[in-house]
Amino acid sequence: MSPPAVQFAEVSASRGGRTVLRQVSLSVAAGQTVALVGRSGSGKTTLLRLVNRLLDPDSGDVLVDGLSTRAWNPVDLRRRTGYVIQDAGLFPHVTVAGNIATVPRLLEWPSARIEARVDELLTLVGLDPAVFRGRWPDQLSGGQRQRAGLARALAADPPLLLMDEPFGALDPITKGELHAEFQRVQRTLHRSVILVTHDMAEACLLADQIAVLHDGEVIACDTPANVVAANDVRVTSLFGELRLQPEATPRVNP
Amino acid sequence: MNELLTFIASHRAEMATRLGEHVVLVAASTAIAAAMGIPLGLIAARRPALARPIVAVANLAQTIPSLALFGFLIPLPYIGGIGTRTALVALTVYAVLPILRATITGLQGVPPAVVECAVAMGLTPRQVLRQVEWPLALPSIVSGLRVAVVIGVGTATIASAIGAGGLGDYIFRGLAMIDATVILAGALPAALLALTADAALAAAGQLADPRRRSRRPVAVLAVVAILAVMTAVSGRASAGRADLVVGSKNFTEQVVLGELLAQAIERRTGLTVERRLNLGGTAIAHEALLSGGIDVYVEYTGTSLTAIFKQPPSADSEQVFATVRDRYAAHGLTLLPRLGFNNTFAILVRGDDVRRLGMKSISEVAAQATWKAGFGYEFLERPDGFKGLSAAYGLSFAQAPRVMDLNLIYRALAAGEIDVTAGDATSGLIGALGLAVLDDDRHYFPVYDAAPVARASVMLQYPAAALAIRSLAGRVSAADMQQMNFAVDSEKQEPATVVRAFLDKIGGF
Repeated sequence: MSPPAVQFAEVSASRGGRTVLRQVSLSVAAGQTVALVGRSGSGKTTLLRLVNRLLDPDSGDVLVDGLSTRAWNPVDLRRRTGYVIQDAGLFPHVTVAGNIATVPRLLEWPSARIEARVDELLTLVGLDPAVFRGRWPDQLSGGQRQRAGLARALAADPPLLLMDEPFGALDPITKGELHAEFQRVQRTLHRSVILVTHDMAEACLLADQIAVLHDGEVIACDTPANVVAANDVRVTSLFGELRLQPEATPRVNP
Repeated sequence: MNELLTFIASHRAEMATRLGEHVVLVAASTAIAAAMGIPLGLIAARRPALARPIVAVANLAQTIPSLALFGFLIPLPYIGGIGTRTALVALTVYAVLPILRATITGLQGVPPAVVECAVAMGLTPRQVLRQVEWPLALPSIVSGLRVAVVIGVGTATIASAIGAGGLGDYIFRGLAMIDATVILAGALPAALLALTADAALAAAGQLADPRRRSRRPVAVLAVVAILAVMTAVSGRASAGRADLVVGSKNFTEQVVLGELLAQAIERRTGLTVERRLNLGGTAIAHEALLSGGIDVYVEYTGTSLTAIFKQPPSADSEQVFATVRDRYAAHGLTLLPRLGFNNTFAILVRGDDVRRLGMKSISEVAAQATWKAGFGYEFLERPDGFKGLSAAYGLSFAQAPRVMDLNLIYRALAAGEIDVTAGDATSGLIGALGLAVLDDDRHYFPVYDAAPVARASVMLQYPAAALAIRSLAGRVSAADMQQMNFAVDSEKQEPATVVRAFLDKIGGF
């Protein structure tokens, strides 16, 4: 059996002298989507950044395809790992096509192949190539930027995709569209995905497994159904917030 | 305006040379400053701990007044002396800060999320810098370059004070001659140059902006055209070194005397002479002589005695000459025979006041308690200047004397901004502006006999030049000097023309 796409083995990490992760062990099977959920400061983003070596752990090990990240050449590791963040982080001085072509160009693909790949990806994420190739990032809506960011992350066909609250800044309708888009893309591509989110509904919708982080520890890791059914108050409180939020909006004056 | 056009037309070749010198000074110093400031900015942006000291040093350098900076630099080996090299060092110092700051600002303005994505996509640190940080910081860096160039064009006019040439020559010459046309002949091209260079860089900045790709051909053409003009202009500025370099300080009489030495040598020998006139003061001229930036200039014995050799002033002409000659000899410099006139300080007032009050001598100034005095900086500082004068005559004024530029002081007096000042006894402006010289009835002012001082080695190398200078001994009277000063200051004649007529008149050259 092939090794897990990503495996965290008793990983501890600190940022600015504060311990953010304590002895975290977690495994992401190839082709699966794992959502990391938890409150702000619970260590979700830190855990994600250990995978492509934007950060290094204090102790323990992160294995990507069975090989410690310390043993990977960081540039090689990153070029096979797609990375999508909130607001996409597109290069503002490069067109949408240029942004998507970044990694293929670094890999020195022939230009015809790059052109074809850009069109293919734009179509995949639901942006019309004829319209969007030459657009500049500041000419895109939030949802379009996120789609372009996803296309850029997928450009060199990376087996692993890291997503840090990719849909966090979007309005509910756009978010819904992008969720559907993501599911459609995943049905086609079957990438290994780690998705950081504080939106439990999003986690339940998109993930095969949900890992709940609390104060730097993984307190639950299971299928969405089992996580929802858990008794742990630290887990259910996350759902509690989720349930309260929509009800708060149509408040009736007494 | 017509006068300006006439002046430009008659000085076409010289103006092209000065403009060329100016362009070379600014272009070279900005290029060097960019080569220093941009990498320093990169380092500072990477290591915030270093940014503070780096910017602090650059800030400090920026606050040094330009003439003071030139003064510091002149005695230094390698980067000092007078002429283009020192000017380049000073201009570079001033250009570094805006470029450094703009680089740091530009790099700090790159959104962290964009850099993070670039790293996460597997760009190496070098690729992140070249493909992401550099292009995003470039507009800011270009604006820093534009600031540096505009500052540089302005500051380079002051480089004239240390003999680096440039358009400042006209500004200083015009100030010395109190001739707005000549000042404009320097200031107007400098302003146009600043605007042109700024526009060229703005166009270059557009080239760097990927959003305006469609305008590229136009911008390329503009940049190429401007570069071509600048290269053509600067090509005219380069020339070989002459046999001798004659210097002068920065007032009319000194320029005339510098021209006098130069023409005397040229007319009596076959040597080529370069003129580095308008050096910014006694200290700069002396240092220039010591460092070999110039080979000869005319100094006044009393000035040498007190300002250079820090000796108490004296009224004994022969004794002062002998003392100064020996002191110069110890520095490898030769004091040549005196030209014939004594340019002592003259206490000046308006002719109207003299007639109204029936004034004759300096001792009567003490009674004018409400008078305002204004003096040149040097006069206020020198031991034989204002301090000694006020003690000798018991002078006290309602307000402390104003410090004024030597070139503006006569006009300030004529305009009534001040009531009394100290000027040169041989100034042509005394007559031209209706001023009067008060009698030094207590014999306070020491002698200031004009005498050429030269590098001994150069006089040995070119005995014919030494002989030509010696032939001027005793040939220039105070009246001659006043006349020549008047011809330049008031009749707006060229110093070269005036000196030519004078040498023709006295004969032997």
